[in-house]
Amino acid sequence: MAANTNGEGTKSSGVALLVAWLFVGIPLGWGVYNTALSSMKLFQAGPAPAMPAPAPSSPR
Amino acid sequence: MILGLSAATFGKWLEGAGPRKAMFASAVCFALGFYISYLGVQAHQLWLLYVGYGVVGGTGLGLGYISPVSTLIKWFPDRPGLATGMAIMGFGGGAMIGSPLAVKLMAHFHTPDNVGVGSTFLTMGTIYFLFMMFGVFTIRVPREGWKPAGWTSMTHAGAMITTHDVEVNAAFGTPQFWLLWIVLCMNVTAGIGIIEQASPMIQELFKGTIGPVAAAGFVGLLSIFNMGGRFFWSSVSDYIGRKPTYVIFLAAGAVLYWVLPYTGGNHWNSVGLFVTVSVVLLSMYGGGFATIPAYLRDMFGGYNVSAIHGRLLTAWSVAGVLGPVLVNYMREYELRHGVDKAGAYQAVLHFMTLLLLVGFMANLLVRPVAQKYWRTGSATEKAA
Repeated sequence: MAANTNGEGTKSSGVALLVAWLFVGIPLGWGVYNTALSSMKLFQAGPAPAMPAPAPSSPR
Repeated sequence: MILGLSAATFGKWLEGAGPRKAMFASAVCFALGFYISYLGVQAHQLWLLYVGYGVVGGTGLGLGYISPVSTLIKWFPDRPGLATGMAIMGFGGGAMIGSPLAVKLMAHFHTPDNVGVGSTFLTMGTIYFLFMMFGVFTIRVPREGWKPAGWTSMTHAGAMITTHDVEVNAAFGTPQFWLLWIVLCMNVTAGIGIIEQASPMIQELFKGTIGPVAAAGFVGLLSIFNMGGRFFWSSVSDYIGRKPTYVIFLAAGAVLYWVLPYTGGNHWNSVGLFVTVSVVLLSMYGGGFATIPAYLRDMFGGYNVSAIHGRLLTAWSVAGVLGPVLVNYMREYELRHGVDKAGAYQAVLHFMTLLLLVGFMANLLVRPVAQKYWRTGSATEKAA
């Protein structure tokens, strides 16, 4: 993030960069963690009677 | 569908208004969509849900999808694939946040006489609005001609990377636009074929081995590779070129779709192989979304790339309808003719191979845009 409106002239502050990345990274990390946790079921679940289940949502 | 139509309709306006106004409009529409949906739930009016979440929210989604693309390309003229990959990966990552968040919020707001859907809409609309406003306030556009220190475009330029700009209306009339439209449409239709059927398909191909719980895990794994593929493949395209990247997507994809049904219980019976092939396919599906804006920038320059991208997204709208319709129709047809459930997937997946081959041919036909389409007197100064 630069300080002025057209993005030129000043160097981005390290703190502002950190805040911006955290603002994006924390929710994204939480989402990926939850999805990864859910995907573990593929490797953990043993044989089960097959019955169609509604598919969880996936990125389009 | 509305996402693509919105992106196509408002893309040109975005180029004039700038990304900040477009992102603000996107945030307002998206949040408003949730709030209208809340009213629909409270009033038990399904049409309000369609209008709110579908039309108004979808309009905001389309605007938000294309808003950061041209700005990011301007900040990363040396790595446009990486830039568009980050933007489109964010869209994929959003689905990973929204889905578990909605489940947790509904559980939180759930009462014996209320499932909590309305309050969830209200809360999510507000959360999304706040996060999107963060983007609105922080986005910056570099001055025209800005480039990273020490970078000269001549080291990257080639016949397939133009140094000229093409306006959106002119681009709309080029064969290149429609060839790329076909490429995206075929790639997305094939990908949706897997996404829509992922859970029942793995259960039916591996009956008795994979149950609903494991199938849900499989869908989660696909989501991760879908998102990761967006960043990975579009970054790779900076090094190997956009056209070769799509050659990989479409040629390797065609082979893998052909092989996929044979990994099932009726043939090789390999869950590991099925999962491996599927995640590679989904990574290329996501990669197709993320690499296309950089491909457009290579073909048409950066001047109107968001607007051109917006119009190209109508291919997604078509694929969003075509994919599920084709898959369901073919599957029903097979089942009606006595094919078992697992076997019915073979015809569907092999048809996806054909679609990808059509896309492959279209990609091969892509050539640099003819001079008559160039924007007059505005050659992009990419060289030092």
